Order: sequence, then structure tokens, then C-alpha cells
Amino acid sequence: MVNCDSSRLRRRHFICPLSSSLVSRRLSRRVEGKRNKQTRERKEGEKKEVQVTSFPRFCWRYYQKLRILMEKKAQKSIPGTAYSSQNGHLLVSSGIPSLDTLLGGGIPVGTVMLIEEDFHGFYSKIIMKYFLAEGIVSKHSTLIASQDVNPSNIIKELPAVIDSDLDSSEISNISEISDKMKIAFRYQNLPTSDSSKNRGRHIGHLYDLSKNMSFSDIENSDICYWTGQRIENGTRLYSNPAYNALLRSIRNKIRDGKFYLKDSPEKRSVLRIGVHSLGSPMWLPHRKSLHSIDSTRDLDKFIFCLRALVRSAYAVAVVSIPTHLYHEISLERCIHSSDIAMRLQAFSGTELEYNQSLAEYQGFFYLTKLAANNSLASRHPGTMEYAFKLRRKKFSIDVLHLPPEFYNVFEYYFETDIHDDSDSKKQDISGCGGHTKSLDF
Amino acid sequence: MSAFRDFLNITRSKMISLGDPVASNAVLSALQVSGDDRIISIKEGSNADSNFVITHLIKQIVHEKNRLCLVNFHNTIDHYQTIGKKLGYDLLKGVEDDSIRMLQPIKELVDNIEQEDKYLQENTENIVKQLYADIRDCLRCLKGDNKLVYLIVDDLSHLHDLGVDVKDTLSFTHYCMNLTDNNDITVVFNNHVSTKTDEILSNNLQYVADVHVEVAALKTGSSRDITGLLTIRRKSAVNHYHYKAYDRGIKTFHPGESIYHLYQ
Repeated sequence: MVNCDSSRLRRRHFICPLSSSLVSRRLSRRVEGKRNKQTRERKEGEKKEVQVTSFPRFCWRYYQKLRILMEKKAQKSIPGTAYSSQNGHLLVSSGIPSLDTLLGGGIPVGTVMLIEEDFHGFYSKIIMKYFLAEGIVSKHSTLIASQDVNPSNIIKELPAVIDSDLDSSEISNISEISDKMKIAFRYQNLPTSDSSKNRGRHIGHLYDLSKNMSFSDIENSDICYWTGQRIENGTRLYSNPAYNALLRSIRNKIRDGKFYLKDSPEKRSVLRIGVHSLGSPMWLPHRKSLHSIDSTRDLDKFIFCLRALVRSAYAVAVVSIPTHLYHEISLERCIHSSDIAMRLQAFSGTELEYNQSLAEYQGFFYLTKLAANNSLASRHPGTMEYAFKLRRKKFSIDVLHLPPEFYNVFEYYFETDIHDDSDSKKQDISGCGGHTKSLDF
Repeated sequence: MSAFRDFLNITRSKMISLGDPVASNAVLSALQVSGDDRIISIKEGSNADSNFVITHLIKQIVHEKNRLCLVNFHNTIDHYQTIGKKLGYDLLKGVEDDSIRMLQPIKELVDNIEQEDKYLQENTENIVKQLYADIRDCLRCLKGDNKLVYLIVDDLSHLHDLGVDVKDTLSFTHYCMNLTDNNDITVVFNNHVSTKTDEILSNNLQYVADVHVEVAALKTGSSRDITGLLTIRRKSAVNHYHYKAYDRGIKTFHPGESIYHLYQ
């Protein structure tokens, strides 16, 4: 075997035989340099291959460039937001990862999200808290309004963030795990499903419901409280002037904080508006008011005006309404004016509370509307059914899965041992999976 | 050669061109809106979105180089522009050329919150009066060149949200319809139906309309293959379609034929 480099060297000598020893020395140096370079490259390549086995080398370079570009873009963009890859919306997180994925990555900026409260308004308040907590952690401005409870109490009860630097720690964890564990060679390079979800898509943080957010975090953030204490009675547009007062204060906040689309502040941020229990008995018209307009009209007008306000600014509004106090039809106009509408139906206090198959969940979650903004097709999941569950530290929305027939089989056998007489009746009741006794094989 | 000549003759007689969206686009070929249709009403059922009918109509208007006055109550101009780009037309270019004019109550409403005038005033009758005056001025500017002028109101039911009485809304629609006495104006009303007052308004519009389009969600619930039901009523015939909405377009098909169109 002739070494490639040495043959080239010979050829060069052959072409210029009169070349002095200096030239040959230079050439030899070059050859040495090349060899060294090749060996260095080989070693480096091996190192890189160890680091990222799934990427070919040229892909890796593009990936690095892309990452740098994305990082630059992220520096320019607003903290706590991301652009949707599908329709280019600017998204903010609702604070609940499962809700974000359901809505297509997060809540689009400039939209109104309507929550039809559960009977006691307990779970809708949790969603509201998550939404506001995410705003404070992402350093967004916040406006919280409520007539039922003191809004400062809602802020005090916000859940604490678990890990602010989630991504880097997770990635390091993954690399540690991959070093230790031995996986079958075919699956070695495949990413685990959880890590891919968190790395690419989720823009929010994780929260612990059992702890409250630290006082310093709340003090340092820009929060505007609206309690409905000082209301001018000048307007006659609404039967209850509180609606108009709230709209005005939202507008003032948008104007003063330079959240309008046309504004160009030094540091762009997003305004999160949380309106808790809108249209509850506290929002009914005053006794003294001369107008006897239907109070639901107020609600329709308010939501429509809020839609117009939010559309013109970097703002997201989440409004919770105690629907069970209204007729169904009267709220449809509000749903039409909002962009995302959802309904919570808690099991507590109903017969579903004792249903074995639903024991894992606390209630049903219905996504009534998911508007198609900037697109022809809505991203509504359609046929899927969802339920929400509340654990000590976490609230999540999952696809509703009924447990297997397994439980019923146990119950069936247990009961048949005791009451043999009712055997024939029980066989009719149990599902198709429960008839193991009648099988011949 | 003779077959080719026949083909050419047929295409000339029917005036089919491949660039014509009425022939190539599924929604527009289902709608078959021509210059003779003066009043078009669109009824949007609850849980349905009829916005695609309007955006497709705009596509036809832009292609035919007609004039357009668009009244936005429900969506912003950005929304129409983004969808327009997906469907293959540039709305803002039309605005620059002055062939399209926009009235944007959704934008003006923000200033009205503070000042309490125009769209937010106590005398609700004045809201429709001022809106009509604006529309009339707009149409006056757009007229000329023997082109058709379209007025699209998206959507009429928001007047109800602003506190306008049904009586006043009906008289507003009546005034707009009277505009069509001039042979070069066509009026398109989009109306979301959720309450009884919306229903009254929609029934009235259906009665006078040349083309009545109904967009509704499926009665039986949601389906993966079909987004909703599209019904087109003319005085002569009624056509039912199922449609499936995609990010960049709509597919329409006759009920029961979705399987042939979706899984090819």
C-alpha cells in the first residue's frame, strides 16, 4: 500500500525536479501539518459523535446556526412568549402545560379566554391563579379584577414556581441518564417522549399548588388591582356602571403601560388581564339605577368591548363567569365574542362523585370554542373528551380514559360468592369484558 | 384535430378559464355568486364559523377587480390579510389602490370607551345612523368605472351587543338593501345566530336575500372528517354540502361523499 500523501509528494518532486531542498522541506512540513490536522479532526469528530450521535456533521452545523439565530430572536422577543410554528401567533402560557398543548401551544396574545365556572367556582379560580402566576414569573404586567373577593387575596394565594431554570436542568438530567443507562442499541438514540415535549414546545413554568408564591416576587412585579370600589355613576351605557369603570381602567392600563400595538416602548411586555367571577350577583345593577335593562346585555357589551380592547394591544384576558346563574342562551353571545371558551363541570356535590370509573378525576372539561384566528381551520380537538384532576401540588387536564373492566370483574366475583341467587341479574349488568366464566377455552 | 376544435369551442362558449376561482375553488363553485345577486345573507350557527364564506367571496371580488367596502365588527384587518395571503390575494394592496375600503368598528371602539360616542352612545339609534352614513360615503368613493361594488358587513349581530334594538338593526339592513337599487351595488350580511333576536334578524334577511348561505356545525356532534354543514338556498334550488376546513383552504362535498374526497 502506498501512502497517498507520499505519492503526491513524489509527483510534485517529479514535476519540479530542480526544486531546492527548501521546497521539499516546506512540502514535508505541509504534509506533516495535514497529517496532524487530520488526526485532530478525527479526534474532534469522535468527540462530537459521542456528544450527538443522531446528527450528521453537516446537520449539526446548521443546527448550531439555527440555534444561534433562534437565541438572537428570543432576545429580541418578549419574555414568556413564543411564536406558534403553525400560524405565527404570539403565544403566552396559561401556566398549565396540559392546557397549553390543548390550545395549540398557549393562549394567543390579543384574545379573550372565557371560563364557565364550576358550581363553587373553585377549579376555575385555580386556572385563573395559574394564569396570573405565570404572568408574574414571566415578568408580564397584570391586572386583576373582582367584586366577589379582594383581588389582593387572589394574588397572595398564587402557587409557587417549582424551577425557574427548567430547561437547562432537564437537559443535563437527560444526558446524565443516558450515560448511566444501557438501552437497546436500536432505541439508544431516540429521544424520550417527555423531554421532546418540554424542550420544544412548552413556554411556561411548573408550579406547586401546596406552596404560595414568595412575597418578594409579588412585590417586584407590576400588578394593578381593581376592586370596583370607586365607581362613577356618570355613564348610562350599562345598567351597572362597574362594567364601564372596569373597561376604562383596563384601557388606562393599556395606554399608560404602552401596550398598544402602535406603541413602541423600550422593553415590550404583555398585559395579563384576569377578571374573576364576572356577572356574579355582585355585578347586578344597583337598586337606585333608573334603567331596567337586562343585566345580561351588560355582559355581552362588556365582552365585546374587551375583545376590541385586547385585539388592539399586547394583552390577554381571562374571564371567568358563573354560568349556572344564567340561562344557557344568554351566554352564547359572550362565547361568540370571545376566542377561547371552556366549561368546567365539577363532580363534587353530584352523583358522579361516587362513580368508581371517574374516581381519578375531579370533573369534566369541555372546550366549547377555539376560534380560528389568522387561519381557516380551528385547532379544536373535536371528538376528544377531557377531564381535569387536582392533586395536592398539581392541576392538569387530561384526555378522559375510563379504567378497564378489570375493577368490575373483581366486584362481580366478590359479590357472586356472597349472593349466588342474584347471579343471573349480575351477568346482564357487567360489560362485555366481564364474562370470563362463560368462555369455554 | 376535430376533437380539439370541439374542446376549444366548448371552452369559449362556457368561458372557462383555469385562473378563474369560481371554476377552480370548491367554495366559490358551490356558491356560484354572480353579478346578478344583489342581496346575500350568511347565517352562522352557534359553534360554527362562517368567516371562510366571506374570505372566499373577497377572493372572487379581488379576482374580478370589483370594489369592496368591508365593515369589520368581528375580526381585525390583520386576520383578513393573513387569510387573504393564504387564499392568494392581497387585501392591503387593494386598500392602497383604493379599490377596497375598510370600516373598522372593532378598532374605533377602543377610543369610544373613553369618549362614549359613535359606537358606544346612549342613543343607540344614532349608532346605526352614523354607521349607515359612513357606509354611504364609502360606497360613493368606490363607485365608478362600471365595476360592481360589494358591501360586506361582518357581522351584523354585534350591533345587538352594542345595545342596538332589533327594530333599528332591521331598519339599518333595510336602508342598506335600498342601496342595491343602483345596479352596481351588492350587499352581503353575515349574521351569527344564538339568541332569539338574532333569529328574527336572520329570518328577515333570508326572506329578502337572493342567495342565503347557512353555515352550521353538525347536529350530531363533532367529526374528524367533516367540520360542518353548508347550505346554499336560492329562490330556485337548495344545495347541501359538507365541508372540511384546513389551514389553507376548504374542501366541500355532497353529504355522504366525504370518503371519496378526503382519502384519495
